[in-house]
Amino acid sequence: MTGLERYGSIENAIRAVASGDRQALRAIYDAEGARLNGIAFRMLRSRAAAEDVVQDTFLKLWEAAGRFDGRTGYGRAWLTTLLRNRTLNVLRSEARTELVDDFEPLGLETGSESAEERMTRLSDEHALKRCLEGLDAARRKLIVLAFTEGLSHGEIAAKLGAPLGTVKSWLRRSLLSLRECMG
Amino acid sequence: MSRLPDDLETLAGEYALGTLEGAELHRAMQLEAKDLRFREAVISWRLRLAPLDDTAAPITPTRSLWVRIEAGLGVSRQKPVAARPSRLAQLWDSLNFWRPLGLAGGMAGLVLAAVLAVTVARGPVAPLYVAVLNTSDGRAAAVVNVYSNGQVTLIPLEDISVPQGRIIEVWTLQNREQGPVSIGRIDRARTLKLDLKNLGKPEANHLFELTLEPPGGSPTGKPTGPILMKGLAARSI
Repeated sequence: MTGLERYGSIENAIRAVASGDRQALRAIYDAEGARLNGIAFRMLRSRAAAEDVVQDTFLKLWEAAGRFDGRTGYGRAWLTTLLRNRTLNVLRSEARTELVDDFEPLGLETGSESAEERMTRLSDEHALKRCLEGLDAARRKLIVLAFTEGLSHGEIAAKLGAPLGTVKSWLRRSLLSLRECMG
Repeated sequence: MSRLPDDLETLAGEYALGTLEGAELHRAMQLEAKDLRFREAVISWRLRLAPLDDTAAPITPTRSLWVRIEAGLGVSRQKPVAARPSRLAQLWDSLNFWRPLGLAGGMAGLVLAAVLAVTVARGPVAPLYVAVLNTSDGRAAAVVNVYSNGQVTLIPLEDISVPQGRIIEVWTLQNREQGPVSIGRIDRARTLKLDLKNLGKPEANHLFELTLEPPGGSPTGKPTGPILMKGLAARSI
């Protein structure tokens, strides 16, 4: 038995990390490192910055594993949250508060892939796909881009050329529809 | 568990989505820290949205990444579990520390709580505003405290390597018209009282920043050297 299987679940592996088991940390890295690196790269658009964030995330996991509440089925999302929060921190506090003449948001081009392309890669088995498809295309795009690129309310508004208040109210209504749909 | 009101439900959703800034982000972090129902709603949203993260194409990290991680384990935690976290580790430990320190108004609830714990340990007077200064790779490297009597202190959390023939200059940016203003110079990382005379009263969102400059300070009166660290002031709680 290799990797995560030895621990039975990622939640068990996180608990092992909390007790100082480096093998468990390595097992999680082997199972999740490439996935996390891909998520960070999509938001940061830089291989080096993405790997830095993954490094920070695993050091963070090493230190903070004891804080994981251990609930079944949340280990992977909890780990991803460590990465996402770190990535958002890099996106917001560093790049975007540079003390330079230009305080404008960084380039907001969508990159090589559209929100709809990302949608098509959502597995059909997820309620999220069906429920996102229930939103109209513009609102769906809003949710998908916000989440996958780490955009703030203000950046979405700038990107769409829409007033901030409008963006917020669109997002909120979309979230409530999603919640109704997904339960 | 009963349903949250719609406004809290959407706040939890936006928090998991990652779109919040400023006062809204601050509020969400405070609720996450102290309100069980809100925390549960956030977890539900993370689980709902998680499949979207899986649409990112995995990228195998370079081989050296694990080596770098392993090298960091020794220093990041000497003795697992039993070790008493350092001041920096306590900051580090808070999930909220990872949240953006930029752009936001009174943000970073638990960050500030952690910083306040540090500050309170140093004396009975709590600062009015606190700025956590981050290095370019996101480490908290210093804390600036602004007290109600106008006194300002800079407390480094780690050593700063200053090249030969350079000094550290401390700047604040209160508004864009005025631009950054020098408020002090030091030759190495040490606790420092800063002078804010001739400046407006400190407020949330004022930027503090440290740069490397020639001896005697920046020749232009504006930052010219590399930024060592920076952060925005937030009202303490």
